[in-house]
Amino acid sequence: MLRALCQKMFGRSLWVYHANSGGCNGCDIEVLNVLTPYYDAERFGIRLVGSPRHADVMLCQGPAMRSTAKALRRAYDAMPAPKLVFAIGSCACGGGIWHDTYSVLGPVEKILPVNFYIPGCPPRPEAILYGVAVALGLVDKKVAPVKFKQLELPIPRYHPEALSGEGELVVYEKLEKV
Amino acid sequence: MVAREKLNQLKARFGPAIQRADLPADDRLYLFVEPAAMADICQCLFGELRARYVVGIGADDRPHSGSFLVAHNFAFDTDHLLGSVLTYLPADRPALPSIARHVPAANWSEREFRDLVGIEPVGHPFPKRLILPDGWPEDAHPLRKDQPWNEVPAGYDADREFAFDDPPEGCVVVPFGPFHPTLDEPAHFRLYVEGEVVRGCEYRGFMVHRGIEKLAESVLTYNDIPMAAERICGICGCVHNVAYAQAVERAATLHPPPRAEYIRTVMLELERLHSHLLWVGLACHIVGFDTLFMQSFRIREPVMWIAERISGNRKTYALCVIGGVRWDITPELKAELRQVLTQLETEWTAVTHAIESDRNLQQRMRGVGIADADLVRKWALLGPVARAAGVAIDSRRDHPYAAYDRVEFDVITASDGDVWSRVVVRALEVFQSIRIIRQCLDRLEPGPLQAEIHDELPIGRIGLSSVEAPRGESHHFVMTGENHRPRRWRVRAPTYQNLQGIPAMIKDQQLADMTITLGSIDPCFSCTDRLEAIDIRSGQLRVYSQEDLLKLAKDQWQ
Repeated sequence: MLRALCQKMFGRSLWVYHANSGGCNGCDIEVLNVLTPYYDAERFGIRLVGSPRHADVMLCQGPAMRSTAKALRRAYDAMPAPKLVFAIGSCACGGGIWHDTYSVLGPVEKILPVNFYIPGCPPRPEAILYGVAVALGLVDKKVAPVKFKQLELPIPRYHPEALSGEGELVVYEKLEKV
Repeated sequence: MVAREKLNQLKARFGPAIQRADLPADDRLYLFVEPAAMADICQCLFGELRARYVVGIGADDRPHSGSFLVAHNFAFDTDHLLGSVLTYLPADRPALPSIARHVPAANWSEREFRDLVGIEPVGHPFPKRLILPDGWPEDAHPLRKDQPWNEVPAGYDADREFAFDDPPEGCVVVPFGPFHPTLDEPAHFRLYVEGEVVRGCEYRGFMVHRGIEKLAESVLTYNDIPMAAERICGICGCVHNVAYAQAVERAATLHPPPRAEYIRTVMLELERLHSHLLWVGLACHIVGFDTLFMQSFRIREPVMWIAERISGNRKTYALCVIGGVRWDITPELKAELRQVLTQLETEWTAVTHAIESDRNLQQRMRGVGIADADLVRKWALLGPVARAAGVAIDSRRDHPYAAYDRVEFDVITASDGDVWSRVVVRALEVFQSIRIIRQCLDRLEPGPLQAEIHDELPIGRIGLSSVEAPRGESHHFVMTGENHRPRRWRVRAPTYQNLQGIPAMIKDQQLADMTITLGSIDPCFSCTDRLEAIDIRSGQLRVYSQEDLLKLAKDQWQ
């Protein structure tokens, strides 16, 4: 339904506003990269605008922070409806490695209703383009979500020789295909 | 023996106030002093001995020594010496005289440990909240050891607004941020504007304070932290990654193998390349020269690709572990990298010619946002901002690390200290980076990538490490501790110092020049904030409410 709505409401032109609510800049730079000659999002009608009042879509980067929660909400409220929110990067999607520290609220969905998630740390420019294109119905979704359970941290800890063990290091166990 | 010389100078002057001195190497000096003598010793160091202020650190050391710890780090750049003045404060009265009046650059550091650890800098000129969210209760300090990393105190009030100072008379407040087209990251400036001229500002930043230092001290272990350190900043992540690893290696006297040092140097320079190309692009974007923005991003992209070929990721390289690196540069990658450098050199030469001969750019940038050598010294400004003012400081040369002592390069300086000089310095540094990477590739010797570590790291040792990030010196302070994690890890990013110089740089400038001036220090709020600001007061206050403004507008039309 959302897809049909997107196609109907936004047509081929999507004006995006990018709001970094407290991320490390990594996703920001990849979003900027998407707009530059190699990836060139403008060929899909996607354009970066400077004010939320001109935007159809808000690209959120970084976790929801206590200090920016209100400002981010205000920026979202300033966008004219209908509007979409994309959470870009691991922090915006799930809170990232600091999801529970004292100054972080968690994923941006704690402040705004998020419509699409593009994970990655940071997501590649291709992934961002693909995510937006999937949302717009320009391409079909080609991946299915798979759940994993983390068994061990893949980083050699203090005594690397004790961890390396025999054969291949099993890090993830596949749980189920959703 | 520079360290011993400086120690003798200080001993002759202060005698018994210096309780203990450690000289673990000729380029490090740790002084343990009486709390009462701290201010005098710092004043002497920064005033008479002309040291450069680096950072102030507050730590809760109660579980180990029963007291709080305060340290002020300093650097003698021409003597290749980094040091720290440390003092222990009683647990029941964590307070010591502020040094910010004599050493302005210590302003934020002191406010930071007041916020996070609850150590009171007595007599601080501007003791206002710096880091924690507005609603945080005054008596809760997240970096104290009895506070869990995920605890939000009971008195937290999410609705409280920050109390800004009142603007000077005759000035209108122009809010700038937290979400602003030229700022990629959230930070809030309140500009006091008279007509079109900026008279001062108040800064409320630290909105990206994610509590990384607390996580490192309570959850992560030594080899997890490099990966978290990398996520301090998405642009200069590798710098933090290397700086942290080096600080721990310093503390534990570990020596990474030479091949690892060369690989670290190559990756750091690759990062400088992509960051400088990005910055020149963004600076041109800010002043409306979008062609160059597109061009520099186009030129930059192969650098990202080769970084991905080496490390598996375009940006977060996950390069270091304690005692070495994780990725190797194979002969094939070497050849590819050389090709990328050749192409980059040709294309960047064309771009620098275009920048040099562009009169519009020069008119927009010359004489704007000036930071002269005095300002650089006062606020301990760093990196291209300092070098553009003719202050030739560069950690790569002054405090050599990794393989920088084995390669040749020039420290680029300019003389005017304006935005244009910063553009020139950065544009020319790209060529130096290319030169350094080529030398490293030539000399990359075969050998292991990681040093063997057999024992647990020693406890309670101090390590300092400075790494020249694209925007200036990144400084890490590590005190090793129990449970395979540091007791205290403090990161000082270059923007931390450079932002403190911004109010002086924008004073009496056109409002329209604010964005490029701020852009010219290449602000990186995520680095700075991991963890508000300077006031320039000139007179009495006058606040326009909405009604006042409406009335003014109506009066004009009548």
